[in-house]
Amino acid sequence: MNNAFQSIKRAQVDWRMVLMSAVLVVIALVFNILSEGIFMSSENLYNIAQQTAVVGILATVMVLIIVTRHIDLSVGSVMGFVGVLIAYLMYTSNWSWQAASLTGLGVAIAVSMYQGALVAFFRVPAFVVTLGGLMSFRGAAYLVADGKTQPISDPFFLKLGGGYNGGIGTTASWVIGAILCAGLAVAMLNKRRAKKNYGVPTNPIALDIGIVLIPMVIVLGFVAVMNSYQILNKPEAQGIPIPVLIWGAVALFMSFLVHRTRFGRYIFAMGGNPDAAELVGIPVRRVTMLLFLLLAVLTTIAAIVAISRLNAGTNSLGNNAELLVIAATVIGGTALAGGSGTIIGSVLGALIMQCIDSGMLLLDVSIGTRYIVIGQVLIAAVVFDVAYRKWTGEAL
Amino acid sequence: MNFKRQLTAVALAIAATSSFAQLVVGVSYDAFQEERWKTDEAAIKAELGKSGAKYIMSDAGASTEKQLSDIDGLIAKGAKVLIILGRDKDAILPAVKKAAQLKIPVIAYDRLFEAPGVTYITFDNKEVGRMTARAILAVKPKGNYAIIKGDPGDANANFLREGQGEVLADAIKKGDVKIVGEEFTSGWNPQNAQKNMEQILTKNGNKVDAVVAQNDGMAGGVVAALTAKGLQGIPVSGQDGDHAALNRVALGTQTVSVWKNSADLGTAAAKAAVELGAGKAVTGAADWAGGEKKVTLKSIFLKPIPVTASNLDVVLKAGYIKKDALCKGVDAAKVAVCK
Repeated sequence: MNNAFQSIKRAQVDWRMVLMSAVLVVIALVFNILSEGIFMSSENLYNIAQQTAVVGILATVMVLIIVTRHIDLSVGSVMGFVGVLIAYLMYTSNWSWQAASLTGLGVAIAVSMYQGALVAFFRVPAFVVTLGGLMSFRGAAYLVADGKTQPISDPFFLKLGGGYNGGIGTTASWVIGAILCAGLAVAMLNKRRAKKNYGVPTNPIALDIGIVLIPMVIVLGFVAVMNSYQILNKPEAQGIPIPVLIWGAVALFMSFLVHRTRFGRYIFAMGGNPDAAELVGIPVRRVTMLLFLLLAVLTTIAAIVAISRLNAGTNSLGNNAELLVIAATVIGGTALAGGSGTIIGSVLGALIMQCIDSGMLLLDVSIGTRYIVIGQVLIAAVVFDVAYRKWTGEAL
Repeated sequence: MNFKRQLTAVALAIAATSSFAQLVVGVSYDAFQEERWKTDEAAIKAELGKSGAKYIMSDAGASTEKQLSDIDGLIAKGAKVLIILGRDKDAILPAVKKAAQLKIPVIAYDRLFEAPGVTYITFDNKEVGRMTARAILAVKPKGNYAIIKGDPGDANANFLREGQGEVLADAIKKGDVKIVGEEFTSGWNPQNAQKNMEQILTKNGNKVDAVVAQNDGMAGGVVAALTAKGLQGIPVSGQDGDHAALNRVALGTQTVSVWKNSADLGTAAAKAAVELGAGKAVTGAADWAGGEKKVTLKSIFLKPIPVTASNLDVVLKAGYIKKDALCKGVDAAKVAVCK
């Protein structure tokens, strides 16, 4: 018994993630019972996956921003600004979606470099810089098109936000599911081999199989659910919605950055102890600028998904999104004090928030109550986080 | 009849200007940088020009305090009638009182403030609500309705809902119309409206036959949600006359956009100012005491125009939208105004 406990402890399972996943499952089950089975219907799960994508994409990068002890309050406004700009170029100026999106990216980078430079070189607190940005870029979003809504009609571009033709179909979904499963298996094999080579004791084989099988089941289950959703009177099923695919790709890429690159190591070192990071020769300014560059790219991607999903760019696009993004990040276990946080946590955090919101909408809970509940969930998550850190600090 | 009255008013105004000094009308805007007031200003100027009155203006730049001194300034410059777009319905009252002591008539423009002797000219918001519901009921007299309301903190959302309720009451009582979903939309944000609509559709197994949305932005979110489920084309209402919404009306994805032509509001206020300046009663103004302080005011409630596929030409004729914006992506063979 004691032996088994030891090996589980040594296996470095991220118990926080396990717990969060469990919370998500419990939330889903409770809503499913209360809504008499509607919540877990493939249609509703498809809705939620799509509704979460924009906040989810932004949350992956917000994790890194917060890890480095910064914050970005302007992310919703910049997304609105860039989104309206892209829609404006396509609708009013008749540009192609490629040209419009690239211009949007250019503007996002300019904005981000400006804010990043103020933070990295002038040492203005990011809170202040981006608080200014929150207001300024909301104003800019208004000015781009004089507050007028810019509809989007390009059929390819509209797929990026999901919608009627925005699923990749069943076959492609299974292929992606299979590739991910194979990737998980290969990663685990590599890990075991590496441990053996360095003489580190490996986990019992059963435990490792379990660690790989659980995410595999989740991936395949997700694919199965998305493949079983069929829009009324449409001959074929939807499959994975493109915005969710984009979100997944972004999350994988960001995880890769965090775990496999020097940039990722630097980010966590800077967040853990900024002075030490500078003293050991980490190019703090350059890394900060790179981080803001990354932020610009992801904000543009989120903006494209958002306007495509809404079929329009509006000057209110992304209003209050910064709050949802930061909340998702915090619920996902990123410490506002910096130094720790995970990409997968932000994914779970965003999903938990959207599940609660959409679930309550299904149950006709009034808007006031919805806000109260979501606010308290945020606090509960942080309380749990603090307690968890204390507990692991003592236990491990 | 109305025309005759206008003629006499104009004649009187001309008589007044020729026999006495030129009438000066002062307009105090609370925040002129908002785009729409430029339309109002153009209409006010044009109408005052017709009767030879002089237009002077001030812009409070969104400051309650500045608006008070602005009004003093307008009076000092010789304004004999004031048109005030009040920043704050209570803070403005000292200035209104001062004008009353100097026997300068005051028009509360677009927004209400209550003081004896004030003439209140605005659009009828409850009527906007009625019009949205009426247009939907006309094309879908029976079925499941969803209602997408505006921000819960905005009194207009409730005014609109009241009007909508009045129109739908009978059909609901008879069982013809069933409200299967009703949600407030935080910040009137189209993205939130889209989410709300998606959840209402899922909750009802997509059995929603019509959507009463309280403005055009949210109608856009609703149409996006419907389109994603292949349900576009069911009746959807809105208001504001957003260019994108008028385009949707032409495309057939939105049924109605209730349009408040702010040029009409400006014209009505300028006419009233000229009449007041000549010491006459305002044509068409009636007693109304529906404000929160229950002060009886002379009021004019302008009727907005419900724009549907059958009268799309009104927005073109008014020069409010250009034909290429209205008809973008529209099959010209199907929609008369786009030919």
